[in-house]
Amino acid sequence: MSTVSKLSAPHPAEWSGRRVDFTDFTTRLAARRAEIGAVEVPRNSGKRRTASKRALLAEIEKLGGEW
Amino acid sequence: MYRPQFEAALRLLARVSEAMVSRGLRRPVLVGGAAAEFYSGSAISTGDFDLCTPAQQTLEDEMQKAGFVRPAGAGRSLRGWVHPELALGFEVVADFPMDGNIDRSTLLLVENLVPDGAFVVVSVEDLIADRVGQWHSGSAPDRLAQARQLLDLHGNLDTGYLERRIREETMGEHGIETVRATSG
Repeated sequence: MSTVSKLSAPHPAEWSGRRVDFTDFTTRLAARRAEIGAVEVPRNSGKRRTASKRALLAEIEKLGGEW
Repeated sequence: MYRPQFEAALRLLARVSEAMVSRGLRRPVLVGGAAAEFYSGSAISTGDFDLCTPAQQTLEDEMQKAGFVRPAGAGRSLRGWVHPELALGFEVVADFPMDGNIDRSTLLLVENLVPDGAFVVVSVEDLIADRVGQWHSGSAPDRLAQARQLLDLHGNLDTGYLERRIREETMGEHGIETVRATSG
């Protein structure tokens, strides 16, 4: 198999895996969140971040990104 | 539902993904914390977008066309890109999600966030298995709670696939019951 054919993608209409409409997905997710109540999840501690990741987040912070 | 800046990043991802398709290449796959934020409706928040693609150079070319830049004065350790106007970052972290151990047919194509645009995200089953694997490694104790929340939020999972993937990520020591037994 050539590199080109290995990386080639079918047209989106030919996608054979799972697919979902964004609005349908968020509507169902919002309903589920309302059903189970408040979802409280701790933010990642950040202890596993690579040096590259730490540098990238620092750059985003410099830009004023609120992530 | 989502934080505005997160949804803006998803739109950007869809645009860049379609640019890859128009070049005859597969869309990158969203993984990691941003995938967790997507599946949790921003209950789990992330710092940036981790992407997988075997065509990193082409993707980064398209990201530059979309306004991403490599930060000036960035050290060698910085592999990511930032979008100055939107104040967000993308980083290619691997060729394939989870070292290629996933079933590609489970990847989720998310359509219609932007006209004629879609993006691909790793399956929620693989994401849960990834969280459990990180917890099992001992380096991220908070990840098991994330796995439980994702399990609670998505009731239509392929439980057979999820069980297998958790086993694979924990060297056979854990399965779905470990997640269910955790207080969310």
